[in-house]
Amino acid sequence: MTAQTGTKASKSLITKNKIKTFFSKPYNVILLLMGIVLTVSTVAPIVAIVQDTFKIHPGTIDAHLTGQSSGYTLINYVDLFTSKLAKTNLWEPLLNTVYLAVGTCIVSIIFGGCFAFLITRTNLAFKKYLSSIFIFPYIMPQWTLAVVWQNLFNSNAVTGTSNGLLAALFGIEMPIWWCKGLFPSLMVLGFHYAPFAYILIGGIFKNMDANLEEAATILDTPKSKIMFRITLPMVKPAILSTILLVFGSSMGSYPVPHYLNLTTLSTKYVSMNSKYTGEASIVAIIMMFFGGAIMLLNQLSLHSRKNYTTVTGKSGQISKINLGKVGKYVIAVILAIVTFFTSVFPIVSFAFETFLPNPGDYSFLYTGNTSNLTTKWWITSENITDNGMYGQKGILYNNTIWHAYGGTLLVSVCCALLAGTIGTLIGYAVSKNRRSKWAGYVNSVAFLPYLMPSIAVGVAFFILFSSGTLNLFNTYTLLIIVGTIKYIPFASRSALNSMLQLSGEIEEAAIIQDIPWIKRMVRIIIPIQKSSIISGYLLPFMTCLRELSLFMLLCVQGFILSTTLDYFDEMGLYAFSSGINLILIITILVCNTIVNKLTGASLDEGIGG
Amino acid sequence: MKLRKVIALGLALVMCISMFGCGGAKKGGDAEMSATEKIIKEAEGLTLEELAKKAIEESNGKTFYGVGNSSRGKSALPLFIAYLQTIDPNYNMEFEWQQPKNNKIFDQLTADSLKETGTFAMTLIQDGNQIQSKMVNTGILDTFIPKDWADANKTTADAVKGFLPLQTLNKIFEYNNTGSKTYTNCWDFVAEGEHGLFMDIDSEIVGKNFLYMLTKEENATMLKDAFDKLPADKKSYFQPVIDSLAKDATDLGLGANGKYALAWIKLWVESYNAQTDDGPICNTLVTDSATDQFGLLVYSKLRSVEESDSVSKNNITVAAYQDGYEGMGGYGYCHYLFVTDNSPLPWTACAFIAYMTCTADGFSAWGKDIGGYSSNPTVAAANEEKFHHQTGGNNEDGTVAFPCRNDRGFEWWTSQGKLVLEDPEYCSSVAFTVGSWIEMLTKYKGE
Repeated sequence: MTAQTGTKASKSLITKNKIKTFFSKPYNVILLLMGIVLTVSTVAPIVAIVQDTFKIHPGTIDAHLTGQSSGYTLINYVDLFTSKLAKTNLWEPLLNTVYLAVGTCIVSIIFGGCFAFLITRTNLAFKKYLSSIFIFPYIMPQWTLAVVWQNLFNSNAVTGTSNGLLAALFGIEMPIWWCKGLFPSLMVLGFHYAPFAYILIGGIFKNMDANLEEAATILDTPKSKIMFRITLPMVKPAILSTILLVFGSSMGSYPVPHYLNLTTLSTKYVSMNSKYTGEASIVAIIMMFFGGAIMLLNQLSLHSRKNYTTVTGKSGQISKINLGKVGKYVIAVILAIVTFFTSVFPIVSFAFETFLPNPGDYSFLYTGNTSNLTTKWWITSENITDNGMYGQKGILYNNTIWHAYGGTLLVSVCCALLAGTIGTLIGYAVSKNRRSKWAGYVNSVAFLPYLMPSIAVGVAFFILFSSGTLNLFNTYTLLIIVGTIKYIPFASRSALNSMLQLSGEIEEAAIIQDIPWIKRMVRIIIPIQKSSIISGYLLPFMTCLRELSLFMLLCVQGFILSTTLDYFDEMGLYAFSSGINLILIITILVCNTIVNKLTGASLDEGIGG
Repeated sequence: MKLRKVIALGLALVMCISMFGCGGAKKGGDAEMSATEKIIKEAEGLTLEELAKKAIEESNGKTFYGVGNSSRGKSALPLFIAYLQTIDPNYNMEFEWQQPKNNKIFDQLTADSLKETGTFAMTLIQDGNQIQSKMVNTGILDTFIPKDWADANKTTADAVKGFLPLQTLNKIFEYNNTGSKTYTNCWDFVAEGEHGLFMDIDSEIVGKNFLYMLTKEENATMLKDAFDKLPADKKSYFQPVIDSLAKDATDLGLGANGKYALAWIKLWVESYNAQTDDGPICNTLVTDSATDQFGLLVYSKLRSVEESDSVSKNNITVAAYQDGYEGMGGYGYCHYLFVTDNSPLPWTACAFIAYMTCTADGFSAWGKDIGGYSSNPTVAAANEEKFHHQTGGNNEDGTVAFPCRNDRGFEWWTSQGKLVLEDPEYCSSVAFTVGSWIEMLTKYKGE
């Protein structure tokens, strides 16, 4: 009896000690807490949206078909999948969405990958300029490129609108497939996400061990064979990472297909929501399902990455292809022209747009008459008189714009601080406990919201926080929560990768000296990896500044700058939207420069981890 | 002078009748009344000044939240506060006006209605169909009819069966006249090869309501009459389409001329060139290069167009203003005002609604635009006196500079302009019959 009691006591003591030991390690506490918080923050919205698909919504199709104004039903599923409208409401948008996502991946990988190759593996001229200008389309809100595309290629004869620049100045009328629908949508999104590919693939090209290629060259292997058998397999993980990141992002893009007249699941969700509310929620779930599928692919790609060692430390030199004395300039000029249209032209056109007398009125270009230019969009200080301002004050005096700017800065700073900190902690904890299944789970669940289409995440959080007890619609709190959850992966991936490079001995030395965890982090770990960690803060900040799809259902226009910008773009008041674009671009560049000067970190490090 | 007064009175009466056409049904019996409805009942017997005093008592030092489809509520609120300060100089109230995107206003109001006391005191909202089915039938919004408004319309609060409109807005057919093409019949807009610029009916639901309204027998008859006046060659193009839809019209329970409405709708949905907003449509139509293009857009957009070397308001012809034009000139929809059933400041909401609908200052935020007509005849007359919209396109010497800018007014539009007016109850009743039929049509996606 006594022996039994003793055994029990010692067992309980062992358990107690185990728990104590477990909690004495900060990374275990982090993993446990984050695991719980992230599970709730990811699962709760999904549960809310699933519940919404069964709910009867007054005044919508489910209420009409069931003859009830409240309660639960399966009718939304039945109607969406089997009614005469199934093709219009589901299958066609689904197919378009897949085409768009796949097309965007192809464009971004080809464009970004080739660019990365030329920058990192050749003796191309003007590398510094080209490298920094290439990032610009990612800085700009994605649909602004769509608006630029319209302004450039629309024509009276083809799109049935007024002539765009190309038609007006040169009489060139592009075909309809070029102006509207799938092609322009995937091109615009491809250009927008090409920096992902550039940074991910470029990172590997830059650090790649040249030994394999050199060995092949010595063995007289043809260059094409070296490219397809050695170089490309080595960048395969980066290509896969790009696909993972771009596929989900382009799938959830609302504004680009909306502006370019392509019906996707995102645009369908918005158009169905008034009359087919429950069915629209199913559409959002389908988008989320793709997020889950991408997640599984991500796991597979993580396994496959183990097969490629790109940084060995054995070869410090990368062999660079000589493009020739003329070739390096010719190719550079071609790239400069291409990036001019994707990066410089939009900014020039934004600036120009703010001086036009009417939105899209390029009279000055045709006539050279300076009376066809105006500063009214900037300096008009009242909105009482009939002065061609559509009831708005000029940008410098427009409270709506500056209030939204303040809101955007608040949300972006908070999201960056929270997502950056949480992501860094997750990255650190996972790297310390890499073999644990729980760590793997936390790592995955933190990454899941990023892989889910933004609009679907927005829908889920809107439904979750629109109850009688918890109603956060149109509050900065809600935007900060959603933004943080969505952008944690930026920091967690960046931190995980950098922490894995860090030898455990460094921290162990500090532990032996009995230095507390906080001090170890602040004085040792963070300073060593500050560049990657700061990228983990910068990316959520920058992405948050121009995020629309995620936030558009969670707040009203005028609340943050992206919804305000979209409002002006939709209204056709391009002077205001262009002005806002300039404000955003300047803000990002100023922040990037300040951070770069202070810490040495910059935007083109760590995109996508 | 007397004649003008008589005409004004006549116009006012026509307007009232038309405005009521915009409304649906008022809510239930006294026994089921909520606290807000009881306040509304009492408020409907008070003048604006009496309401203002109640508002001052209720909201001094507090924050007023409003939500609306129009951003102008934000401009009207400071004027309202200034008005209350003329009664009590110490009065002050903070305010916030929200304008949700797309259809979110309904979600926002539904979510807010779940609270015991809501955030929003009132709303200014469009789309009679959804208001009826999602907001009024569910008891989320309550209609308040100001006494002064009822008096001006020579009626009483109890006699009003619909919602309270702040204003009716019109969307009209306009075309670019730099070419030789003309549009003299509403069927010309759906003729072969035509692609009118129009906000997508899924983006702005009032556009869908317009199509629903065409199937109402009086409008279907208007379409038939216009069709009858077409030359034979044009008729021969439309006739097979009309005949092919006779069975659908019967199946959908439409009247004798329903097939004309369905034909016009089918041809329109399958041909219009969807745009994100009326702004880009107007920007397009006023340019020299938009030769022979036309659109169906809000009239008010013309107000801010600035003359330049390639842009002019004179590039626009308002279809209905042409002599001999046949059929509808466009459609009209209302901005309605409601008190939320869980309003935190119901008296202030009522006073604000009364201020906007019963005074020219209260309406001035909207009144400065053409194409928006106050539902209060007294306010409408005062507004015209102030802004001179009927001669807004004239030079100072009275010569006409921009014919399209001379707004002929609500009475003209609803009579000669044959504006198709939104009827929430009718829209709501056909939303899942005609509505589903429309959704089956294949929208135009380009050549």
